[in-house]
Amino acid sequence: MAENTKDLQGFTQEQMNKMFSFWTDVMKLPTIGPIYAFSKDVTSYANDFVSLGKVMAELKSSMDSYWLLVSTAYTRAIKETMERAPKQLTSKDDLESYRRAAIEAFEDAFTGLFASPEFSAVYGKLFSSQLDVSKAIQGIAEKNFKALNLPTRSEVDEILKDVAELKRSVRDLKRSLETKYDQARAST
Amino acid sequence: MTKQELRPDQEPVVQPPAEQAKEVKKEPTVAEEVKDAYRKLEKARNILHTAGDIEVGQTPQEVLEETRAYRLLHYQQMVAKTAKTPILVVYALINRSYVLDLQSDKSWVRSLLSQGFDVYLIDWKPPTAADKYVSFDDYVNCYVDDCVNTVLKKTKTDKLTLHGYCMGATMSTMYTTLHQEKVRNLAVIAPVVDTEKDTTVIGNLAKNMDVNKMVNIIGNLPAEQLYACYSALKPFKQGVNKYFNLVQNIDNDQFVGNFLRIEKWLYDTPPIAGETFRQWVADIYQKNLFVKNELKLGSELIDLSRIKVPLLNIVANEDHLVSPQCSAPLNDVVSSTDKRLMRFHTGHVGLIASLYSQNNVLPKVGQWLKARSQ
Repeated sequence: MAENTKDLQGFTQEQMNKMFSFWTDVMKLPTIGPIYAFSKDVTSYANDFVSLGKVMAELKSSMDSYWLLVSTAYTRAIKETMERAPKQLTSKDDLESYRRAAIEAFEDAFTGLFASPEFSAVYGKLFSSQLDVSKAIQGIAEKNFKALNLPTRSEVDEILKDVAELKRSVRDLKRSLETKYDQARAST
Repeated sequence: MTKQELRPDQEPVVQPPAEQAKEVKKEPTVAEEVKDAYRKLEKARNILHTAGDIEVGQTPQEVLEETRAYRLLHYQQMVAKTAKTPILVVYALINRSYVLDLQSDKSWVRSLLSQGFDVYLIDWKPPTAADKYVSFDDYVNCYVDDCVNTVLKKTKTDKLTLHGYCMGATMSTMYTTLHQEKVRNLAVIAPVVDTEKDTTVIGNLAKNMDVNKMVNIIGNLPAEQLYACYSALKPFKQGVNKYFNLVQNIDNDQFVGNFLRIEKWLYDTPPIAGETFRQWVADIYQKNLFVKNELKLGSELIDLSRIKVPLLNIVANEDHLVSPQCSAPLNDVVSSTDKRLMRFHTGHVGLIASLYSQNNVLPKVGQWLKARSQ
């Protein structure tokens, strides 16, 4: 039994050594290109996915706070509807009164909620958490773009910013030339 | 939103004449009523799918200038021109400008034309991802200024009336502080001015929005985010109840037409350029820099006390998008001696696109403008 285990351990060790040396050799092969870039960034990718998990957990927490407020408003609206609406629905008018009471109650509850400072804070946090998730995903996407030697979103953003500033400079130069031209024409 | 605000086009359910009511009518059975309700629901469902096809903005016009950012429209005269000063309407960056010409009997533009004004309108085009860094500086000092110059050149005048609505009213005010020499009158409808006094849900949501993060990560404000804000405005009285009203009135063609035009406009929401939206929320809503005279466009400071031209400020008492308390302080901070605040009992959209507006708002606005347009 012990001999078998030793054999198995030896076999496993041997296989593992072979496997690792195989991958070490594979990773050594291309010193440029996407495979090399991916393998080089593997730790960084792992960290990114851990971060993504973290921001998604924060998003879940923000969503919980948001839905808690919404469900509280909903419960309040249902309670108000029960109080305001006719107790028996025996005619078409009763149904109409019920509809009006429900609309009023839900409107009061939800408009009150949306206008409250508490909702503003929770909504702001939820929005921010959603953006954090987008940012984490963008970070991972940017790495892939770099690995494929493609321009990233950040790089394109820098170009767009430069273009916007250049356009403004051209506009200002054009205006100042026009003013000088008008002044010169007026003086002649 | 109140019915009056977002459904300015709605008319009350047409009741049968008294003579018809006197006729002995057989009460429908429950089965018949259920069948009829189902028919109406089915008809409403089919009609809602066609909302995008309905025609709007039909007052005859020509495109005077077109760029990547805007189309400058010139409306055809309907009567002999009686006002010398042309009007340039600066529409907001939220939704589309055809709300000012939604249908012939509720058209802001058509009413001004029928009063003898020469009307031009800036119809903003939706920004693309490449416009992320387009700011208020670009909108005001470049696009609006270019349109002003074009109109002045075409009309061979040296000044015009700048007439802005909502965000466009704020932009018109910004423009007037910097280029007053080209503005004879400033007439604004529901401008966003003092946001600390704003009492709306929109103002409340803007307070805690991390807009810098949004612009950095997403870029332009997506339309979906605007829908999310809209859905928080009178969600049941408007959002739910309007569809009940539609089903009830589904056989009334005029009602359905009015409903679809507003519905089309409500959901025709382009994105907003990132940097412009950042300034709008962070500088104007969160820091209230505009009314404090601390807002900067490029290197220039917006100082509202520089405004000396005649000012007309039109506000709606039931406005739930820009509260009257937020708009009215403009009259306190400008230096104009000729200034007027007009208040009306309607809402944000009812102020510009309703029968109430045609009968109560526009005659007074026209009168004020005409007296200062000769």
